[in-house]
Amino acid sequence: MDYIYSILTLTGITMIGVMGTYMVTGLTGQFSFGQAAFMAVGGYVSAMLALKFNVPFVFAALAGAAAATLSGLLVGLPTVRLRRDYISLVTFGFGEAIISVLNNSAQLTGGAEGLVGIPKRVDLPLVAISVACCIFVVACYKNSKYGRQCLALRTDELAARSMGIDVNRLKLVTFLFASAITGYAGVLYAFYAQYLEPGYFNWTISAEWLIIVFVGGINSLTGALVSAAILTSLPEMLRFASAWRIIIYCVIVLLIINFRPNGIFGDWEINRLWKKKNNEKQRTPGKGAQA
Amino acid sequence: MLQNIFFGLSLGAVYSLIAVGFALVFNILKFSNFSHGGVMSFTAYAGYFAYIKFFDGKVSGSLMFIAIVSTAAAVGAITAVAIERVGFRRLRRNNAPVIYYFISSITLGILLENIVTIFASSNFYSYPMFFSANNITLFGTTFSVADVVTLLFSSCALIVLLFVLYRSKLGLGVRTVSFDVNTASLMGIDANRVVMATFAMSGALGGISGVFLGMNYSLYPQLGQLVVKGFIASVIGGLGSITGAVIGALLLGIVEVALIGVVGSGWMPACVFVIMLVFLLLRPRGIAGVIVQEKA
Repeated sequence: MDYIYSILTLTGITMIGVMGTYMVTGLTGQFSFGQAAFMAVGGYVSAMLALKFNVPFVFAALAGAAAATLSGLLVGLPTVRLRRDYISLVTFGFGEAIISVLNNSAQLTGGAEGLVGIPKRVDLPLVAISVACCIFVVACYKNSKYGRQCLALRTDELAARSMGIDVNRLKLVTFLFASAITGYAGVLYAFYAQYLEPGYFNWTISAEWLIIVFVGGINSLTGALVSAAILTSLPEMLRFASAWRIIIYCVIVLLIINFRPNGIFGDWEINRLWKKKNNEKQRTPGKGAQA
Repeated sequence: MLQNIFFGLSLGAVYSLIAVGFALVFNILKFSNFSHGGVMSFTAYAGYFAYIKFFDGKVSGSLMFIAIVSTAAAVGAITAVAIERVGFRRLRRNNAPVIYYFISSITLGILLENIVTIFASSNFYSYPMFFSANNITLFGTTFSVADVVTLLFSSCALIVLLFVLYRSKLGLGVRTVSFDVNTASLMGIDANRVVMATFAMSGALGGISGVFLGMNYSLYPQLGQLVVKGFIASVIGGLGSITGAVIGALLLGIVEVALIGVVGSGWMPACVFVIMLVFLLLRPRGIAGVIVQEKA
């Protein structure tokens, strides 16, 4: 039972990270290869506050998310006004830089040996509630004015600009939002695993999240979440060797990209299940009137 | 001082091979090719295994070095062409949005890295010493032979590449396609062949840089992540510009060596990152000053 609990908890944390990636990639169409580095910032800042200054968990978590947002600002500010290749290249560099900083400030962070002795403050219910809150916030963002502007921006930046959308500001705001969420995922991970090491946050994790978002369908939050849940929990339960697992992911993605470019879910969202009924209700009188 | 500058130049020469291999594909398909790192890891190992299986004991010294480098370059070219076939051919036919090129290249990069991990990660390998005399002295300064060879060989590779690009029919085709694919096709240029040739050149450069990196460091599956140096160099030099990439890479090499002296090798990547950010804020188009607009 403990084993299943731990898989569920880790899956929940991954889902939160994937939501951050979904916001950057699925909404604004940019690619961040340093998403895991924001997770590292969130985790390390909160864990160090708790360890060195005995800060209560709530404030440490807030500080972690805030630190991740700040570092997002550092990366995002120079890059949002350039073409989208820059943000991928710069976030990639950011990931490497963060790992080297963590490895080299051994007195503070424990260096390559990792940060140990973080108190355990996170359990399955808290993660479940966090996942639910994040889903709510991200879904609201997607359906808000900003989310729709993001979709316009992703489809055609020039056209979006000519419709009066402040493209750079929108990209930056979404990127910061995503950094905050990812940073929070890092906080949860730190206080659940009770142990942090720089090697965990390399670009493979960021790339894995991107792949997860893509498998589910780049237009669909539901798709991203479902594929996060399946792709993280199933291999754990079936005990695949991890390198083979990633190779299988890659083959799936290559098949999808060549033969079903919209991902498994396309742009289908779960709330269509109940929205459909409303649409039908509206449609029926219309049809009757025509007849 | 002179010695450090020279060391920086030779480091920068390797980076410039990476950056140019990356810029070639960027030039023609207008997206960042993240599979380049995977090609580098793969070829570094391919060169090593070719050495173990075929060359060990048969040739020696500099001949061995040339044999290994050319094997790696050939393997790199073949791998890159295969990548183009699997990952990008269909996307180009479907006129897919640039997002899909990104995902495809990331996936292929991770795929290659993990294939290497599965088949070779259990042991650490390292290339043999190719050159017996370790140092030469010139004008009262000592240079290590490996650095001299690296610098000479990289310059030769780059000169050959520039010659192909600017003095041959194939190069004209590459430059035309990178300007506009549709017009090029209308003028009777086989775009598929040109793209394949570009990938082959980029892969060959990736192979050569893979061997050099393998010689400088030991072989490990994540070796390809040093491709980040190539990214930084091309951001500094200006995305898509080949001369810019070379200049950026040489600068990066010198700056890195200088920084290692000042702040130590551990903090160096973070400092380089900050320098890149400042550079982006001040002169986003890079040294070369070409601005590549995203297609509307």
